[in-house]
Amino acid sequence: MSAASGLSGLVGQSVTRVEDDRLLTGRGRYVADVDPPGVLHAAFLRSPLAHARIKRIDVTAAKRAPGVVAVFTGADIARLTRPFPPLFMLPGLYTPSFPAMCADKVRHVGDLVALVVAESRYAAEDGLELIEVDYEPLPPVASIAQALSPTSELVWERAGGNVLYDFTDTFGDVDAIFAAADRVITERFSCHRQSNQPMETRGTVIEVDPDDGHLTVHSATQSSHALRWVIAALTGKRSTLSSLRRFVTDTERRRGFITAARQFIRDNAQELRRQDPAGMRAQFSKDRTSIVGINLLGIGLLGKDDYPTVKAHDIGGAFGSKAQVAREDIALAAAAIEIGRSVKWIEDRVENLTDGGQAREEDLAVSIAVDHDGTFRGLKVDIIIDQGAFPGFPAGAPGFTRIIKTMLPGSYHWDAFEVRSRVVATNKGKYVAYRGPWANETWARERMIDVVARTLRLSPAEVRLKNMIDESDMPTAMITGPRVDETMSTKKTLTRAIELMDPEAFENERRSAAAEGRYLGLGMACYHEAAPGHYEYWDSINPGTNLLLAERARATVDRDGAIVVYTPQMPHGQSHETTFAQIVADELGVPREDVRLVWGDTDKTPFTIGGTGGSRGAPVGGGAVRRASREVRQLIVEQAAQMLEAAPEDIDVVAGNVHVKGVPSRGLTFAEIAHEATVAKRARTEPAFDVTSTYRGHTDCGWSTATHACIVEIDLETGLVKIPRYVVVEDCGPVINPAVVDGQVRGGVAQGIGAVLYEHCAYDDAANPQATTYMDYLIPTAMEIPDIEVHHLETLSPGENDFRGIGEGGMIGAPAAITNAIEDALAPFGARVTDQYLPPTRILQLAHVIGHD
Amino acid sequence: MTTVPVAFAINGGRVEFRVEPRRTLADAIRDDLGLSGTHLGCEHGVCGACTILLDGQPARSCLMLAVQAEGAEITTIEGLAHRDEPHPIQQAMREAHGFQCGFCTPGFLMSAVALLAENPAPTRDQIRAELSGNLCRCTGYQSIIDGVEIAVRLLATTSDGART
Repeated sequence: MSAASGLSGLVGQSVTRVEDDRLLTGRGRYVADVDPPGVLHAAFLRSPLAHARIKRIDVTAAKRAPGVVAVFTGADIARLTRPFPPLFMLPGLYTPSFPAMCADKVRHVGDLVALVVAESRYAAEDGLELIEVDYEPLPPVASIAQALSPTSELVWERAGGNVLYDFTDTFGDVDAIFAAADRVITERFSCHRQSNQPMETRGTVIEVDPDDGHLTVHSATQSSHALRWVIAALTGKRSTLSSLRRFVTDTERRRGFITAARQFIRDNAQELRRQDPAGMRAQFSKDRTSIVGINLLGIGLLGKDDYPTVKAHDIGGAFGSKAQVAREDIALAAAAIEIGRSVKWIEDRVENLTDGGQAREEDLAVSIAVDHDGTFRGLKVDIIIDQGAFPGFPAGAPGFTRIIKTMLPGSYHWDAFEVRSRVVATNKGKYVAYRGPWANETWARERMIDVVARTLRLSPAEVRLKNMIDESDMPTAMITGPRVDETMSTKKTLTRAIELMDPEAFENERRSAAAEGRYLGLGMACYHEAAPGHYEYWDSINPGTNLLLAERARATVDRDGAIVVYTPQMPHGQSHETTFAQIVADELGVPREDVRLVWGDTDKTPFTIGGTGGSRGAPVGGGAVRRASREVRQLIVEQAAQMLEAAPEDIDVVAGNVHVKGVPSRGLTFAEIAHEATVAKRARTEPAFDVTSTYRGHTDCGWSTATHACIVEIDLETGLVKIPRYVVVEDCGPVINPAVVDGQVRGGVAQGIGAVLYEHCAYDDAANPQATTYMDYLIPTAMEIPDIEVHHLETLSPGENDFRGIGEGGMIGAPAAITNAIEDALAPFGARVTDQYLPPTRILQLAHVIGHD
Repeated sequence: MTTVPVAFAINGGRVEFRVEPRRTLADAIRDDLGLSGTHLGCEHGVCGACTILLDGQPARSCLMLAVQAEGAEITTIEGLAHRDEPHPIQQAMREAHGFQCGFCTPGFLMSAVALLAENPAPTRDQIRAELSGNLCRCTGYQSIIDGVEIAVRLLATTSDGART
């Protein structure tokens, strides 16, 4: 942190939250609270079958139902929209172009068949009851095993199979290393399907301006700009010819586009040069029609009459699920444009559990080549992801395989590494980003390290310490490419966690508990994550993805001295209004109450490709805000220097008082300076000072690290697992607001506990979802989640902005620490934990209290 | 569809309006009375986001019909603060960084108020048990439990004791 920036010392303090003024008093405004005048309500008819052809659909009775204004079938919506384009340019990947709703075939229970728009939600749901659909059932693909079978029915016909992606990455001479190692230990792991489950479901209100038809889209979204452009691209369809004509004849529009395109290319030249055209070509070769689709989409965008505004308000959590552009949003926008009236859709919980986003269903076969003393030599992993039917858009399973590939080796030395990544399609809900979407690399590796330690009769902590990259090894690189510097402090977190847990004392505790028939276990897990990561890291994920490291922020000072900062971040629980105000206030030397943050409105905030997700908020969003504030401070200081007849370097800002150093009594307020600047500019409506800055990523490697350690106690009467102690030692660099960081860590751990012990998106053999209410999908309550100790290490780095992300980490470390502790507790029974989901019956099976199914 | 009259007291005032018999109390509170602080998380009685106080007792407004509230006295999140003075539970939750996204918050606050009215000095385990009917997906609950403990202390030093 720069000493020259007039710090008021707010960064580092657990200041109370700005958001709480409204959220604790019932004055939050969520999408369900948005009701434009005359708004209509939408409900979707969803498929009751996992896989079927739609033979006939009859909506005549529904159209006549009281209060129903319009009914749209999948075919109707197809006429009004363009399909979603294929994303992720990975060689060999098949990823489909897919429609907003289904006209011919449904691909999972909950797939979108029809849309009813009515005067009330009640009337819309009445309308759904009157729609008749004849389905011709197709054999469902319900599991990874079925998807791998060459005889299974195709989920996507053009894919030519249900394996959509199969790619092997090799680093080092794997065969030689495996042959030379003392032994090879192999295990297969299976992670079950889970769901993000924010307390607020998805929802969107398409507000149509009755005069000019302009769309204002109110939505619970993690990326308002992405939603804006996808809605613009896919709806309000006009013919390609008329779009082209429009673009050619409308000079102003053409110039606007060319200027914006030039600006984007100039801003991102380095990243764009790194794109992978060969990879893109390789992907298009699987389905050449997608090239045509993407070009039509682009031309359609150029020729549009108008582009929607997206506004996001308070958002009731997301955990990755609202980074998706929902197919529903496209259908709703098309319907609203067609009938010329505002339309509101608030997803219900059953819809959310079946189609609101699921994740993590993966099988992993892991082999570690190791010497007798526990030295790691080689790592081989074969991972298969069940992405369900529709790909997550824009972030889906194929992209996550690239992060998994890069991060699987973790914070350890390896001589060789190989990973085969496959993505399969099944007739289940879509696999989306869920808090650390690559997290099963940590679960499988850290689980496997315990298996190795147990096999070699070594302590898991010692095996980790022995193989972990040490500060004295730096600078070095992961075997997969990314550099590691001191921000990769995993070993420091492990050392601290071992001190805190005191394994020797624990052994005594374990022995005395065993004497009473109680089974205790200790488990640990370590990881580092790119938060935000270095340019090279993103290159190793997929060339060009380092575009995500660039973000803009705008800082303004109004004529009355009010400081307003605009961010493209989309807070949904992370407390950006508080933490960003802390950053800005420190930079400008003002109280944080003087700073207001504007977010969520695409008319006001700078464009971004991302939004809030990927632990980017503090490092990237915060970095941009910090840079913009520094630059605006410079303008203020220069103006004040003129007014005070002093040199800018002699100006100090303390608590909003801008003065010559040592003469605070003759200082100026921001309002006085802003007024003078405005008069000088003769522009009375503009902000007095207005800076938009682009932040382009860290100069350091940008790793966040942690070790999770916990003790479990298992009751062999009930199979219940208690967690009497849970410790997280984390390092996200300088902590902006410790209470906020603690909250992020604990929330993530709670989701990890839920994942292992309670939550499961179960499907039956016919791909029917079995957990469609909270009676079956068990979200842990205050009774199940223990107090969690969070310890902060704050490794500084030489970069301009060394905040590092913390949003995802809790969820990354927890499943491994807990499953490791459970295997440790059940060691007397020779238990080997290979499933991530361990409900009471599974615990009792592992302990041989009950038999296997 | 036919409508029927319903009348009840809410946040200190009295309301009288007509609803479809099938209308849930939650929808009536949010849409007919415009009190959008009461949230709907699951609409099947598990998550507790829609918790209100009905004659002083916590109730799931998503599981009740509006007509069932006839003659009742209801408090929602909007009725917690006393004029401009926040309720001690609101003050305590701010201090504790109790919540993150704020969606489950109104339900938790109403459940906590009901708990404190019944038991002004609950243990940490009792707080956990009493609040286990409300789901939060952001916090892991620890900060919420901390907040209730702070509220216990604030209430103990407040002369008028537990208000609802």
